[in-house]
Amino acid sequence: MLKVLVPVRENILRAAEQRKATGLGGDISEFLGQLIDLGFDFRLRTLYRQFEAGEISLGYFARELGLSLRELYAVLEERGLPTSSIALPIQAAA
Amino acid sequence: MLKVVFDAGPLITACKFYADGKLIVDHLLPGCQIVIAPSVEDEVAVLGAPYPDGVAAAERIADGRIAVDPISSRRWSAHLAAYALGDGERDSIELCSQIEAEALVVDDYVAFIAASRAGLKTLMLPDFVVELAKRSLLTAQSAEKVLRAIRPRYRKGVVEHSLMQLQEVM
Repeated sequence: MLKVLVPVRENILRAAEQRKATGLGGDISEFLGQLIDLGFDFRLRTLYRQFEAGEISLGYFARELGLSLRELYAVLEERGLPTSSIALPIQAAA
Repeated sequence: MLKVVFDAGPLITACKFYADGKLIVDHLLPGCQIVIAPSVEDEVAVLGAPYPDGVAAAERIADGRIAVDPISSRRWSAHLAAYALGDGERDSIELCSQIEAEALVVDDYVAFIAASRAGLKTLMLPDFVVELAKRSLLTAQSAEKVLRAIRPRYRKGVVEHSLMQLQEVM
């Protein structure tokens, strides 16, 4: 796993330290890593709802998430989510 | 020969799934000319190079079975500006208009609406498969296998609708 330097709000760091002190959590960096994963997952789900609602396209979704379109396709496929946002058949226009 | 522009989503799907031991794109190519925008090539074949479908697309681009056409003018920039589209979707709409392709194949709702409103004939990949069968450019039996193979990538109802349309062709 890659290690990067990330600024963290003081209250989040305090929460991580407190969890460790009370025996609830182990390594602080592991806890912070989990928060980052949750944040990514939250962002993914938020954008997927917009995609599903027909507000944003797949390409826009990928760009907002910081993935290539092919990477996003793989992420959605792993989660069993359709990559087409068209819910009902639309007759060809023109 | 039916000339169509493919957006990235349907191209990935066509280069990823198999029917009868053959990639979907290879079922489609004898009956049509697929043209893509350079940004779609980037999304699928360049950034998608680590994936087998990216390699499959790159091979077909390299040997000319899939054509890549540059965008020479942007007729719809202002119209498309406020849509939440990616570069590939935007360029596919421009390219379809520019080369006067018969249709844009796109599985994305926003791109579908934007392209339709630009006056382009717009088809989802399952609709395109049925269209090829209607024109006898793909056998109905192969079309059915293709539709069943790509079903996981679509919402409920889409492929079922296409299968019913196919019954009318058979």
